[in-house]
Amino acid sequence: MTTVRKKRSLEARRNSWGWFFVAPGILFFSTFSLYPICNALWTSFHNKKLLSLKPPKFIGLQNYAKVLSSPDFWNSVRASATFCLGVFLPIFIASLLFGVLIASRTRGRRFYQLALYSPAILSSVVTASVWAIMFDPRGLANQLVNGLMGTPGIDRRWLADSTMVQISTMLVYIWKTVGYYTILFVTGIGKIPASVIEASIIDGANPWQRLTRITMPLLKPTMALVSVMIFIGSLKTFSTQYLFTQRGAPLEPINVLTLNIYNTALYEQNLGRASVMSLLLFATLLVLSGIQVKAAGSGEDM
Amino acid sequence: MEAKGLRLSSGGGIIGQRLSGSIAAAILVAACCVAVVPFAFMLGASLMPGSDVTSIPYRWIPEKPLWSNFLNAMRGSDGDWIYLRNIFNSFVVATTVSISSVFLASFTGYGLAKFKFRGRGIVFMGIMATMMIPFEAVMIPLYLTAVKLGLQDTYAGLIMPFLTSAFGVFLMRQYLLGFPDELLDAARIDGCSELRIYRSVVFKNAGPAVATLAILAFRGQWDNLLWPLLITQSEELKTIPSYIVRYTADLTADEGTMMAVAVIAALPVFCLFFTMSKYFLQGAGVYSGSKS
Repeated sequence: MTTVRKKRSLEARRNSWGWFFVAPGILFFSTFSLYPICNALWTSFHNKKLLSLKPPKFIGLQNYAKVLSSPDFWNSVRASATFCLGVFLPIFIASLLFGVLIASRTRGRRFYQLALYSPAILSSVVTASVWAIMFDPRGLANQLVNGLMGTPGIDRRWLADSTMVQISTMLVYIWKTVGYYTILFVTGIGKIPASVIEASIIDGANPWQRLTRITMPLLKPTMALVSVMIFIGSLKTFSTQYLFTQRGAPLEPINVLTLNIYNTALYEQNLGRASVMSLLLFATLLVLSGIQVKAAGSGEDM
Repeated sequence: MEAKGLRLSSGGGIIGQRLSGSIAAAILVAACCVAVVPFAFMLGASLMPGSDVTSIPYRWIPEKPLWSNFLNAMRGSDGDWIYLRNIFNSFVVATTVSISSVFLASFTGYGLAKFKFRGRGIVFMGIMATMMIPFEAVMIPLYLTAVKLGLQDTYAGLIMPFLTSAFGVFLMRQYLLGFPDELLDAARIDGCSELRIYRSVVFKNAGPAVATLAILAFRGQWDNLLWPLLITQSEELKTIPSYIVRYTADLTADEGTMMAVAVIAALPVFCLFFTMSKYFLQGAGVYSGSKS
């Protein structure tokens, strides 16, 4: 009896070392994640200016009302939504296609993966600056498009026209992220048990049937995961839009939520409204993340 | 790998196979070209005078490599060599964050994976919940917190919010869950202290996870634009991304030099990529990899 109790207390003492190991982490996450988000909630109900020394005044839902009734906010919602929807299908289809094709190859898989992934390595600001030069009126983009369409000398106004600048930001984003999602699909396909595919070959399925009846259905969890990740990622886009507007592109068409939050906080110095927009963005991303966890979880049954 | 490829393309006639195989290869090669063309443009243009970068028709290969672009890129348009300082800052921030995130994440991850203390479930859920808080949503309150702590316009301010990440903790915990308990018990019987066990048994054997996480963290900071933009005012403390934005915003700046600036910024991460591509791909696959 006593030895059992002794053993138990020894184990309990050892397990309390767990607290020792997680304590620094808890301190960090409380200071830099939990506290700020609580603070954001508090600020959203107060009238707080960035550099003002006056104590913030409680103003209830006024910040929310102001944000929700401002056309500027709704323009940002439109800009973010357009961006998300605009990049979703191209990225999803291209990465799924490339993923399936790479998985079907015997040789050069690694090469294809690395080549397609390389844009994702480039930092987003460098990417934006390279594309900004290619989108120059006399730049490569005009020349390539005019060359392909046989229309020499036409300026597509990539960074000047309000529709074109939206397309330009999407192109940059698609170019940069397709490789990343391709790798997720390659990994997902690699997880399909070989026995399932062997069984289908014995049953006489041809490659097309195997793709549509075996691979695709078994890839559903990965597809769900990738879809949500594309949405979350594209809602967070900032660098390209910021750099393009700094280089003189019109702000309004590409004033996505993140950019608007940044400008509202830093230039208008209105932290209350910036916090409200942050929280609305957070709520949206939280819903999407919840779906992502579900999607990732459903993969465990695979 | 090879056997699987054969499986996927078997069935159907030999000719059909070859045809579909070469179509697949053609599509992939075309996609790779699209992925790589902007790199070729960046490299070529970084060695041209600005007028050649926007010449019609565009010549991909510089007539005579203009190495002075790189010198001018370093010197900057004001001749103050501030880019060098900004590169140094990026190295300091990215390296510190990379090292600290590995240590803190493995520390926390080890505690969560191997000790059954009371409240463990809540701590784990809490940290996972912060993974869902995107940086973009807390940056303004985080900025206020940092200002309160007196971190504005300091290295500490650039670094501290990224000392570790919930994702890193998750990664390390998943990895260490599979770590054999027998090894830990053996070390305990040998009289090792818990800290010593962490250092010389656990951390030393967590190589792949450590490398993956270190690279992810380094890249994340090398790429970070938003936070340095908020927290720093003086040019001496800015990092590479904000310098690039400032340089690109100047419409009179020479395009060739601008691309040289970009090449310099891209170089370190690409050196990492070519030497440690395995960990890059692992890092990318972590999401779908965490499922199994």
